[in-house]
Amino acid sequence: MTDTLRASVVSSTAGSLLVPQRITSRELKTVTGLSEAVRRFAGVQLRDYGGVGGLRTVNVRSLGSEHTGVFVDGIQVDNAQNMQVDLGRFGLEGLGSVSLFSGQKVSPLQSAKEYSSASALYLDSADPVFRPGKKNNFIFGTGVGSFGTISPRAIWEHEFKGGTALRLTGEEVSSHGRYRFHVKDYRQYPDGSLAGYDTTMTRANCDLSGIRTEARLSSPRSSDSFWNIHAYFYGSGRGLPGPVYKKAGEYPLSSDRQTDRDAFLQGRYVRKIGEDWSLALRAKLSFSHLEYSDFPELVPGGSPARYNYRNHSSYLSAAASRLVWKFRINLAQDLQYDYLDADLRDFVYPGRLSSWSCLSTVFQTGSLDASANLLYLLERDSFLSMGDRSSAKRDALMPSLVVRWKPSGRLAFNGFAKRSFRMPTFNDLYYTTVGSKTLDPEDAVQLDLGAEWTAVETGRNHLAMKADFYRNLLRNKIIAVPTSNQFRWSMYNLGKVSVIGGDLSAEFVTRFQEGEAGAVARYTLQSSRDRSDREALTWNGQIPYIPLHSGSLNLYGSVSGWRADLTLFATGERFTTSANLPAYRLAPWTTLDAAVSKDISLKEGGLSIKARLNNLLNERYEIVDNYPMPGFNFMCGITYSF
Amino acid sequence: MNKYALLVFSMAILAVSAGCTKDETTSRDSGLAGVNVAVGEKKGAFSKLFVLNEGNYQKNNSTLDFLRFSDGNYVSDAFGSMNPAVVQGLGDTGNDLALNDGKLWVVMNGSGYVHVLDARDETLLSSIAVPDPRYIAFDGSHAYVSSYAGAIYGGDETKGKVYRISLDTYKIDGEVEVGCQPEGIAVSGNSVYVANSGGYNYVHENTVSVIDRTTFKVTSTVEVVSNLHFLVADSKGTIWVSSYGESAWTQDADGNWIQNMSEPMGLYKVAGSTVSSMNNVHVSCMTLCDDGNIYAIGNAAEMDGGFNNTLYKVPVGGGSVTAVALSATDAAKVGNPYGICVNPKNGDIYIGDADYTGPGKVWCFTKDLKTKWSAVAGMLPAHMVLY
Repeated sequence: MTDTLRASVVSSTAGSLLVPQRITSRELKTVTGLSEAVRRFAGVQLRDYGGVGGLRTVNVRSLGSEHTGVFVDGIQVDNAQNMQVDLGRFGLEGLGSVSLFSGQKVSPLQSAKEYSSASALYLDSADPVFRPGKKNNFIFGTGVGSFGTISPRAIWEHEFKGGTALRLTGEEVSSHGRYRFHVKDYRQYPDGSLAGYDTTMTRANCDLSGIRTEARLSSPRSSDSFWNIHAYFYGSGRGLPGPVYKKAGEYPLSSDRQTDRDAFLQGRYVRKIGEDWSLALRAKLSFSHLEYSDFPELVPGGSPARYNYRNHSSYLSAAASRLVWKFRINLAQDLQYDYLDADLRDFVYPGRLSSWSCLSTVFQTGSLDASANLLYLLERDSFLSMGDRSSAKRDALMPSLVVRWKPSGRLAFNGFAKRSFRMPTFNDLYYTTVGSKTLDPEDAVQLDLGAEWTAVETGRNHLAMKADFYRNLLRNKIIAVPTSNQFRWSMYNLGKVSVIGGDLSAEFVTRFQEGEAGAVARYTLQSSRDRSDREALTWNGQIPYIPLHSGSLNLYGSVSGWRADLTLFATGERFTTSANLPAYRLAPWTTLDAAVSKDISLKEGGLSIKARLNNLLNERYEIVDNYPMPGFNFMCGITYSF
Repeated sequence: MNKYALLVFSMAILAVSAGCTKDETTSRDSGLAGVNVAVGEKKGAFSKLFVLNEGNYQKNNSTLDFLRFSDGNYVSDAFGSMNPAVVQGLGDTGNDLALNDGKLWVVMNGSGYVHVLDARDETLLSSIAVPDPRYIAFDGSHAYVSSYAGAIYGGDETKGKVYRISLDTYKIDGEVEVGCQPEGIAVSGNSVYVANSGGYNYVHENTVSVIDRTTFKVTSTVEVVSNLHFLVADSKGTIWVSSYGESAWTQDADGNWIQNMSEPMGLYKVAGSTVSSMNNVHVSCMTLCDDGNIYAIGNAAEMDGGFNNTLYKVPVGGGSVTAVALSATDAAKVGNPYGICVNPKNGDIYIGDADYTGPGKVWCFTKDLKTKWSAVAGMLPAHMVLY
């Protein structure tokens, strides 16, 4: 029983039946943003609109970013409005690890919502560590880099009497965000001649200024109970540069602006009750306010159209776990209410009550672990219709089965089958300006078989490989394509997508007296076919934005406090529509990033310096069509802690 | 002596190249192969059918295609191929295409340009910056372009404009304020007529503005119905204007959302200040053909929430309207009729078929709606012109 509790105490991902892909705090030190870390995972496609303030979301195994839940300490970051979680809004300091579960995470005392998303990204905080005799840690740092970016931050960690620990974090970021990019197109003619253009432009209206403050209280470690409370605030204002397209005159492509205020307060309490039972309670209140201002570019001085969106959300979860013979039974019940207020014309003010009920069993015998889970999602929307509140119901039953067999200490096989539903967002359903109001939930079925093999494990060398092959079927897929800007979308049910994929990764580490060196290679194959309409040109085409091949290679070495890191990302050709014609092809791209860092131990603390050079080869590329990414850029950081 | 030889040789080359440009079969765009889609298509009275693909909003993927009647080949993105050095190509969101005096005028709404092309080989002659241009019409000396003039959805109510472009200089030499979000435009007699949609307003507009060509001022405003869109003028001076109708979203007992039309997407005849409705003609796209008919496609069952795409032939000189349900013909294969053009010589009907997830198609049917050919077009093929 204490195992269960310890697992929960250490992190929300420890003790899981399936082993996730994980990036540890050591690796996190070499990156400057969360998205840089997450894009390394196999099976992940990062959607990045470029620049400091550009939206960054992840898409796991071609299921779409809305199918990936992002969890902070095991509690989901929600956005009922659009289910997009911008990875640019989370800091790295204070994080212990970042883990990606493709399929089903099964660990003791997890909440019902943790069973609901097709994939899950876990951001786990590290509890503060105090040197003997110390009660306070202070960390001051700043980042400086390209695009006029400055990001100072300060952290104070304090241990109260009795062992309760507090961490206060404050970070500010400001950047003009401008960068130059190329617009080019060359055509090859039948006679062999080549003609075209290559011109340089500057991305404008892409400034960002933001502030993030967090406070986290964590209880002393005890074998009977623990708790933590986490308060978060993020506020920002930014220009929305929009896509690049031909535009006459001196008018800007976009002068649109967005301001955000996101806040949440969440807590978790885990307790052992008697000899057999343990219990976890989770609660969260969150609020976000977004103001979007659409400026009439052609009427300088004209007043903008302003839209305000206020998301309110409250969440409560209870989970209980008990061991019955060789079965661990986990029962969880979550309740949530979301409400969206917006000052749109004819807005329907949608509210959504959701209930997740989950029964999960884990069976353990010898080298075999198996888990069967059943989740029932009951969802009731209420909204204004013809002056009255009207309602809609969307319920879903989501079963999953997970098996892991470990015939030896070095070899493990795993597999899962899972069906999950992604509910239409408020934006999908209730936008009055764009979008369809007749959307079904997306239905995702995942089948996966995988193996992990530690080929070499000596004190000096470590070589491990992991392979996963999967078959995903997505029905009623809702495709969101940015139209006038990043914030307004047009929606349609694309229909059916059939995915056959493989994630392969290999990790090699060799340790020597003064340090270590290693390599991590990851490759992703995704044949994601549009099976919506047999008569259409799009039939059986690769779906938009998913490359058939993609991968990354990370090489690193560390010696006496120095660490160097080289990362190569490669993405094969993609298309902007499932009709895979040359006119809609996006060119493959490769980027090379390097990072160097040095930790210096001082008598009373430490100094850490890092420099990160992104896109060393100055590759000109686009992840999202008509959103050019920056060329070479750098970011330096210095951190002093005592 | 050498100098003279060179001169003679140059003149010979000039003569040959001049000969080439005159002869359509060896026009500079004849090198564009395209895809053979229309085997057996006779050259007839026209050499090309131009197709303007609107492209997706702010995707900069509007393209100009053509079907060459001499060999039945469909050439995609002819503008890009003939003008490779033009930065960002045709541009964003093509909204109208018109032929005037051997020149092709392409109205680019998103990019804020009106391009003038040589219709023989699609080479760019001039790009005129016009804010938010929508539709174009001509008289002997000028082009007239309707414009939203910087209005944004949800913003301040902003009046639209009509810009006047000189055909000699390709420069704007006049502008006049009209109603909000003006759309279709036509020249008739000494007037320019423009349909005001008021599409961004809470309550749509319902008028046609009449502009005097001599003074270039609005002389009168005719009330028709709300949300006007296409506008054409026939040879007798009668104005024909369509409405995009009015709709409201409601929910049925099962919770499904339905779009109910409260006013149809109708066709209206404006003779002076007399407005009459062409009852039961539904218009999602329309064209005035030189054969004296308006051809329109619309959903005949729109008021009942049903689906029955119908081709209407409206004789502008009077006489009965014919309506043919597409479902009973080869044209049942057309998913989303997005643009229409009719060959006045042989009666062939060309339909642009939009697919909102991928490239669209261009269909060619005989006047009895039997399939002749179809071709894969670009994104949202909407506007067609015969040359």
